[in-house]
Amino acid sequence: MDRPAAGASYQRFPRVRIRELRDDYAKFELRDTDASMANALRRVMIAEVPTVAIDLVEIEVNSSVLNDEFIAHRLGLIPLTSAAAMQMRFSRDCDACDGDGSCEYCSVEFHLAARAESDQTLEVTSNDLRSNDPKVCPVDQARAYQQALSGSDFDPNTGDQRGILIVKLRRGQELRLRAIARKGIGKDHAKWSPAATVTFMYEPDIRINEELMETLTLDEKRSWVESSPTKVFAIDPITEQVRVADAEEYTYDDEVIKKAEAMGKPGLVEINAKEDSFIFTVETTGAITAYELIMNAITVLRQKLDAVRLQDDDGDLGELDAHLGGP
Amino acid sequence: MNAPDRYERFVVPEGTKKVSYERDTKIVNAASFTIEREDHTIGNIVRMQLHRDPNVLFAGYKLPHPLQYKIIVRIHTTSQSSPTQAYSQAISDLDKELEYLKQAFEDEKNRREQRQELP
Repeated sequence: MDRPAAGASYQRFPRVRIRELRDDYAKFELRDTDASMANALRRVMIAEVPTVAIDLVEIEVNSSVLNDEFIAHRLGLIPLTSAAAMQMRFSRDCDACDGDGSCEYCSVEFHLAARAESDQTLEVTSNDLRSNDPKVCPVDQARAYQQALSGSDFDPNTGDQRGILIVKLRRGQELRLRAIARKGIGKDHAKWSPAATVTFMYEPDIRINEELMETLTLDEKRSWVESSPTKVFAIDPITEQVRVADAEEYTYDDEVIKKAEAMGKPGLVEINAKEDSFIFTVETTGAITAYELIMNAITVLRQKLDAVRLQDDDGDLGELDAHLGGP
Repeated sequence: MNAPDRYERFVVPEGTKKVSYERDTKIVNAASFTIEREDHTIGNIVRMQLHRDPNVLFAGYKLPHPLQYKIIVRIHTTSQSSPTQAYSQAISDLDKELEYLKQAFEDEKNRREQRQELP
């Protein structure tokens, strides 16, 4: 068998088409690569793209109904704007401080002070958190600030403006604390994951056997089209022909294939997954934008690959030297 | 209480090498690479990239145990190549693919924005 000389490149050149791109949502097609690459990107987006989240909480006063740990945990889960996270340091390899959160390179300090003075229940939310770094703050605050900048008035349709509820206080109860947010990754704790959902599917390739389809009566066509749990097929009202309404609705459930067989028409439709074509859906928590998440995932994956490159002093080179220098 | 630190999952302990390899004593051009603190993310893309190389006769990876944070990649090549060469080539091909992908994303985003600016 003829094999090319070693050292040839087998690199692929993937193609991308963005279908939809919003701040916290992206839908795109990825082609000319394989499932391992699609899955590596998905895994990195979920567990290895860094963000900032509250990690250390010093509670000064807590007379609320929730215990200290409960509140610390809830604070950790609040998404913070993390556009700067890629440039920040992990506190464990920060040499400017001893990891106690007193340094600008690896941490951001927050303060919260609330006391219910009136008879009405006081809701303590993420809007009550005060950051010492304007780049890092709860995502709701950042959004409200941006809306104020763009001059658009309070718009109740753009989402909940009340922030994320931390605890409710009754008259006389008080909560006062200092919190330190740090950079981290989802592998460490899910609070650092920037991804709400990241999924990909194979693009389906649906081929209807038109000749066989024409042997069906309109009623048979209807019952076949309705056998699919999702709306993949439709009947053209004028020509009464079956057509693919939305191929991506197909969930690889095989229901239409089983139905065709049950009707005595095997091979009525052929459905294959395109092995090198993927449709991604990416949603973020708001900590970073969907586009940033994708770009950062590529950067992180490249850093990981760089880290697993062979170094000169790896492996049993001593043995190799012995072989080369041996008699 | 006695739970190991969470960071042990992804921080290579001091004095441990990220990648080490051991050649097979019985088969020529066969070797096992042990990669510390990596999982299916790296293991699977490296394996699939190695499969694209016709000089690679066998390439596989395993995660020996879910609580041992390492993977083992085994490569067997023809005499035209060597496991280290195939491994290094696979890594650089993947790196170049990702570089290309990043550029493709940037270009696509710019194209979209230009399309949207036009009426």
